[in-house]
Amino acid sequence: MKKILLHLCTAGAVLLASLVTASAADSKLVVAMLPKSKGNAYFISCKAGADKAAKELGIQLLFDGPTDSNAAKQNEIVENWITLGVDVIAVAAENKEGISTALRKARKSGIKVITFDADAMTDARSFFVNQATPEGIGHGLMDEAARLTNSEGEFAMIVASLTAANQREWQKHIEARLKEKYPKMKLVAVRPCDDLKDKAQSEATALLSANPKLKLIMAICSPGVPGAAEAVKQAGMTGKVKVMGLGLPNENKRYVHAGVTDSVILWNTGDLGYLAIYAGVAVAKDELKKGAKTFKAGSLGTFNIVGDNILLGKPFIFNKGNIDQFDF
Amino acid sequence: MLLLYVLLAEWLFFYVAGTTTNRRGVIVGFGTLDRQFDILRHSCEIGLLALALTPVIITAGIDLSIGSLLGLCAILFGKLWHDGGLPIPAAAGLTLVLGAVAGGLNATLITALRLPPLIVTLGTYSLFRGLAEAITHGSITYTDFPESFLFVGQERLLGLPTQAWIFFAVALAVGLLVHRTTFGRAFRTIGLAPEGARYAGLPVGRRLALVYVLAGLIAAIAAIIYTARLGQAKADAGTGYELFAITAVVLGGTSIFGGTGSIPGTLLGVAAIAVLKNGLACLPVVMAMNAAEEMSGLLTGALLLLALTASVLPKILSNFRASRHAPAT
Repeated sequence: MKKILLHLCTAGAVLLASLVTASAADSKLVVAMLPKSKGNAYFISCKAGADKAAKELGIQLLFDGPTDSNAAKQNEIVENWITLGVDVIAVAAENKEGISTALRKARKSGIKVITFDADAMTDARSFFVNQATPEGIGHGLMDEAARLTNSEGEFAMIVASLTAANQREWQKHIEARLKEKYPKMKLVAVRPCDDLKDKAQSEATALLSANPKLKLIMAICSPGVPGAAEAVKQAGMTGKVKVMGLGLPNENKRYVHAGVTDSVILWNTGDLGYLAIYAGVAVAKDELKKGAKTFKAGSLGTFNIVGDNILLGKPFIFNKGNIDQFDF
Repeated sequence: MLLLYVLLAEWLFFYVAGTTTNRRGVIVGFGTLDRQFDILRHSCEIGLLALALTPVIITAGIDLSIGSLLGLCAILFGKLWHDGGLPIPAAAGLTLVLGAVAGGLNATLITALRLPPLIVTLGTYSLFRGLAEAITHGSITYTDFPESFLFVGQERLLGLPTQAWIFFAVALAVGLLVHRTTFGRAFRTIGLAPEGARYAGLPVGRRLALVYVLAGLIAAIAAIIYTARLGQAKADAGTGYELFAITAVVLGGTSIFGGTGSIPGTLLGVAAIAVLKNGLACLPVVMAMNAAEEMSGLLTGALLLLALTASVLPKILSNFRASRHAPAT
């Protein structure tokens, strides 16, 4: 009985195996892309761009990641790819130090490694596709605010906290841009919302009543934008006081369509995925080397490189016209 | 024995279907020695937890808390070393003691208060994970461990992944305890009939306490190996590992109702799951679908249900025959 079963198992295995191997033989360059979590709509939209790049370049794209943001799983996936002998690994690191061990091992075995979205340790990868510099974000926000208010009048800011490093950095560039280019605009208040939508709403309500001449509220943390929009809507100031800021399309769609929020600023995640794949393939083909100053990525054109960071460049503005094309 | 054939078939299948030659003409995938070492390396932590669970399940108990305890011990180890300034060996030693103490908490609640193990360890399952998260505020990750420590998790010693030696040593120790000592016999007796064991004069409380303390100790060993493999200690370490470990134990023929079970069986169970999980990730079809993780969950479940069905099938069949041939009354 057991013998029969064993024979059956073996026969089945061999049969299946021959079917599978028959369909597998091709010799394309293999690029493996590792998001922080593969179910996250943000990374799914990155993948859309990556798929497009893979098609244009004629490479095979593997896209796998933890189902939740799990640093240990990321390492296991990279180790799996090392023994599969992929050519390029592109990673958005969940844990900077943790993943670097596995990435160094990959590099040692001849695999080219780049990072995108969230960097690893610098010695564990060759390039980082950087989606947003503080300067790019600061200038993008300020320029858009100026465009919405015809470069004059009072505006206020809602930030996550007054101390967080990235917020301080963005604020610094916003204020520098304001001073340099928009003398008729005045920043009247900066309020923290602790990264909470409710707090952002109450702060915005307070701002509205304290500053009757306010023309615009800029929120530079993602819960801040819908929070401020809700406050403006409830105060019946829709259109009179404009709302814009740094955020994700989905949580702002409602307000954008209702005309409360004018612009939501972030980067184009599809372009991020597209650029990451192009950069990875160029590194593997030895076309992109250390010290390069620019890099041309297919239909997206040329990007600047600072040090070992490939810059995605200008932020992307989501508004009534395009926000429905994005789902994250 | 059935499991051995399943494992062989599984391995053979992946060897044939999961091995390819890449662009550079190098053989890659399942059929490489590196891959086999990877499988061994990745099985050590779940393997240790399965070893810890086998005596527990033989006594008709369960310990759901060991995955969480792995996380807690990883954090404690990281904290003792990083914040406490202890050298690695001292921090590791202390972590083992703390793991045993945590196991002792389970043991006390189960033996002194006679609470059901399922409920007690369901409680400590949340408690240990919660503690780990509280200590790190859910955000601190301990990293930058010295090279000499990472050697335990990432390098090879005498040809095998370093941690495999620890795994084998623990397997041997637990195997001897379960199969070659009177303790092992006591575990089985308790699993079959706890009241009977008590009347027979067995120190049931102390024997039960032993299996839970041992489970805590082994979970701490797994935590240190886990930290060394990834080079990081984070509060979510080992999430869900207890379920894989239970699956491996049951797959290995240990009865979930207690009384019977074997360490070699558990090792086979661990191997069957590890090969399945690792092999799937090598299949071109699965890779093209980007679904290795989902498939491994699905097939591990299917494998367990099949094994369980196969194990009870002979009994059901013979019952069925017996009832058909029974004389009419």
